[in-house]
Amino acid sequence: MTLLADSPDPLNWTVLLPVLAGGLAVWYLLPSPQKRPPVFGILAGLVALGGVAAFLVRGLGQRIPETVEAGLFFGFSGLAVVFAVLMIINRNPARSALAFAMVVLSTCGLFLLLAAPFLTAATIVIYAGAIIVTFLFVIMLSQQEGPSNANLRAREPALSVAAGFVLLATFLVGLQRVYDRRTVDAAIEHASSLARADRIPEEYLSPAESINVDNMGNHPPPALTPKAAEFAAEMRAALRQVKLGVPRVGDGRRFGDHPIVQDVETAINFLEISGFRYRDAEDVRTYCQTVADGLQRLKHLRQGSAISDDLTLSEHGMVRPVERPDGPRQLPAANVSAIGRTLFADHLLAVELAGTLLLVATIGAIAIAGRRERAP
Amino acid sequence: MISLPHYLAVGAILFALGLIGFLSRRNLIVMFLSAEMMLQGVALNFVAFSRYHGNLHGQVFTLFVIAVAACEAGIALALFLRLYHRKRSLDVSLWQDLREPGMEPTVDTEPLPSVPKEEPLPHLPPAGVEPVREERHYV
Repeated sequence: MTLLADSPDPLNWTVLLPVLAGGLAVWYLLPSPQKRPPVFGILAGLVALGGVAAFLVRGLGQRIPETVEAGLFFGFSGLAVVFAVLMIINRNPARSALAFAMVVLSTCGLFLLLAAPFLTAATIVIYAGAIIVTFLFVIMLSQQEGPSNANLRAREPALSVAAGFVLLATFLVGLQRVYDRRTVDAAIEHASSLARADRIPEEYLSPAESINVDNMGNHPPPALTPKAAEFAAEMRAALRQVKLGVPRVGDGRRFGDHPIVQDVETAINFLEISGFRYRDAEDVRTYCQTVADGLQRLKHLRQGSAISDDLTLSEHGMVRPVERPDGPRQLPAANVSAIGRTLFADHLLAVELAGTLLLVATIGAIAIAGRRERAP
Repeated sequence: MISLPHYLAVGAILFALGLIGFLSRRNLIVMFLSAEMMLQGVALNFVAFSRYHGNLHGQVFTLFVIAVAACEAGIALALFLRLYHRKRSLDVSLWQDLREPGMEPTVDTEPLPSVPKEEPLPHLPPAGVEPVREERHYV
């Protein structure tokens, strides 16, 4: 359960609810020889759609502003998902092909939102135009009369729905784990509020009688107050989450944690050992400030908005740090000419290969489809 | 603004739905459409990453994906036509003698629902009488 342990919502209902409802809906609506009233499937599907929308709005830990772009995004992605479900549950393959055309058109809307106008046009022309029309021709050439096994039965619907939706739940949990930084933000806020405080609040301080020096001169660690124990656990959880993003440093043979990670760990340990009771309250504040600063820096490193200067060594050799801006960078405004330049400057060999592939596929399709069946 | 993970989530949903369609449907054409839908989910991921990194390599990759998908569609549809000519059906389970040795064949036990046969469209008898065309001779 370590996967779910650090998320603010231990059972991850934001992911589980839409996945369970969606799986139920798709399983219920898949073609089957039994007659089922579609109402329950539609209800479960609506619940799943609402759950997915809630996951997108809240579960990823980022606020969505109320802009036209957000409205268009939800409209297009809602259309895409609804028509995708309609495509896989429809008993009539011609209707499935039309639903797929709608999926392609909605995806093209999303492409347009992502600043890819040339790709939008190309996808509409190739997919929604050429490929779908070819599909409709094949459907017309292979018409069947009456009920058929091909359209009215599903192969192992429960198992395949389970496989697909377990995969989907894994994707969504992974996205949430990577992009939801609310745990880290709360921890940073908590630590820096302690560092700014004039006096450390009483409920953090271990009782004075629990701090004693035994006759050997050692300090046994004092009993922590619940508030202090909670603080330490929160900081450790946040540290576990952000330290995945920084390189481990080493000399090629032995690897250790990054210095910032070590600093934060040491500060948390000191706070725990002392029970927040140093002779000088300034020390406690300094340690809290160390924790807050370290977590903030690690968070920036993980987001890619700060560049780690250290040589990144890992068990697999040397890795160059990936430079990423915090938000999206600018794409060139002249999309078509920029794509053409990238295509023919950086990917010339791939263009040639794609052309060869298309030629071979054309010859192959003619050779396969044009051959006449010999008389049996 | 809508950021990267939202698009990735939508792409993941399209991919998973396509996977389910490919695994569970038995019509060859619908299976192939589902595979194309998985490609759409992946293309959405590529374009979103392209926007996020601020370079065009993702969009170029999507162009190649579209080219390969077009090849795939051409070859696959030609193959489907050949298969249809052999068995007069697009049901993929008719080809299950290609399965691994030692596997039990799938047998459909539940009967298909009977669809009431459509009544033939009524044929109307020719109404009225064709007027006799008088041939007039004008002198």
